[in-house]
Amino acid sequence: MTQEHKHEPVRSRNEPFVARTATRIWHEEPSTDNPYIAASAQCHGYDLFELMEKRSFVDVFYLLFRGELPSHAESNLLQQLMIALINPGPRHPAVRAAMNVGVGKTDPLHILPIASAVLGGTYLGGGELETSMRFFRKHQKTQPEILIRDYLEQRDKNTLEKSAGKINEPGEVYFAGFGARNGGVELMAVELASRLAKLDGAGAALQWGCKLNEQLDEHGQGWLMTGVAAAVFADLGFQPRAGGCLFQLLGAPGLVAQGLELANKPITAMPFVSDENYVIER
Amino acid sequence: MLSNDKKTYSDIKIIEVLDQRRGKIISNTGGWFPGNGVFSHGYSMLDELVGKKTYFQTLILNATGKMVERPFADWVEAIYGCLSWPDPRIWCNQIGALAGTARTSVVTATAIGCMATDSRTYGVYPLVEGVEFIQQAYAKHQSGMSPLDVVNEVVATNKGKPYIVGYKRPIAKGDERLETMEAVARNLGFDEGPHLQLAYEIERVLLDQFDEGMNINGYMSAFLSDQGFSSQEVYQMFAMLVASGVTACYLDTYKQPADSFLPLRCDDVDYQGVPRRAVPD
Repeated sequence: MTQEHKHEPVRSRNEPFVARTATRIWHEEPSTDNPYIAASAQCHGYDLFELMEKRSFVDVFYLLFRGELPSHAESNLLQQLMIALINPGPRHPAVRAAMNVGVGKTDPLHILPIASAVLGGTYLGGGELETSMRFFRKHQKTQPEILIRDYLEQRDKNTLEKSAGKINEPGEVYFAGFGARNGGVELMAVELASRLAKLDGAGAALQWGCKLNEQLDEHGQGWLMTGVAAAVFADLGFQPRAGGCLFQLLGAPGLVAQGLELANKPITAMPFVSDENYVIER
Repeated sequence: MLSNDKKTYSDIKIIEVLDQRRGKIISNTGGWFPGNGVFSHGYSMLDELVGKKTYFQTLILNATGKMVERPFADWVEAIYGCLSWPDPRIWCNQIGALAGTARTSVVTATAIGCMATDSRTYGVYPLVEGVEFIQQAYAKHQSGMSPLDVVNEVVATNKGKPYIVGYKRPIAKGDERLETMEAVARNLGFDEGPHLQLAYEIERVLLDQFDEGMNINGYMSAFLSDQGFSSQEVYQMFAMLVASGVTACYLDTYKQPADSFLPLRCDDVDYQGVPRRAVPD
């Protein structure tokens, strides 16, 4: 039977909580007659209305996260990535979740939070980004051939009895941000990386990633969309922890558009698996 | 345009597997077959579960695949009551309160409040680490390490700090929920298992050396380990742990005037960034 235990009495730690939340991002200046109403807002010191007049959305997006305005080359690289990632596509689980919101007649305001949560997963989503950005930071000075050789040697050492001689376990991912999806190399991701790498703003991660990609072909692996995004974010100086959230943000327009497209359609507008095709295996 | 003849180096066997699954659902869990019933883990839900098992027995079945006895389900239900409080100072609850003041729906508020407990410091996610700690500590104890050795090992790898999930607690020292849950467990007829006994011994070491005791996570992790659950099963079982408290906090602010929950003047936010500057062309 459970014993009676004497526990310490509960008492406050009196931790030194701050009186005001601090931010280095945004400054709202109060109006003269109502301290709750802002008369102006500045993003990292720049007046919002002046930013509207003089800079692009992409510039201000970069400023918001990095604290400084981008160069033309950086802005162009980010803009091209933003266009490339604007819609994860109608077969991506996040978009399919958005479509279920739409066709299910859920409040359309729920499309974005629901679908972007799915876009935060560790497969095909933001959850892959941080690891991938850290991978670039750590390895982008290593020769790709050496990296692959070391990985395979280590793997074979670890699993000698089980898979010696086997080149590519199904679904095996050698490096974060690279791999196979649906059994093969993602052509669109490879092409995207190749195009972005030619831009003036491309940096070490993107260039090195393209070299690694070339070496991975024979293993049935290559760039993933998440890997390309991670390389660009790393080259633009975003923090690894921000990577997943940025990936969610960049895919958000497509999630909403695809969800809204089905919001006014009947529930029969998406397939409903028949009982014959529903199998319980236990 | 990208040409369609680029090689994908695909594994044909994977394409075959995917083709076999097109338009089909293969569930390892259950499903609804109109006219024939609803099934979960081999049970007919309407014949064997609804009205015959408690909601928490069904919840645990869906979360772990295991049908548990009623006393254990009642214990889990009691724990839910210990971790779902209507106090909007707790972060997940404050999200609910802010959702109320922003007039979202109650479903939105409750769901996002639950998401917030995927935290590294509080809520549901730390249970994974809590269960892993006590199960690993128990294995070490079995192979000869004393509770003091277990604590010293952690302290040595954390620059002298006793960072053990399941002990210590933000905001307050001590945890009033322990005695309540110990009484619940006694009333339900539970014995103190070996993980829980070790957890108490570790608590004694920590109290002696660092004036820090066990928290509800430590108690839950040890108790649930004694009941044979893995860290992932525990995480799954408590996915919506704080839901009720978040709902309560949402309603509290939803019923009050908008803007009135912790109102902030512009200068109640401490701007520490760069001073105003001109935008370059």
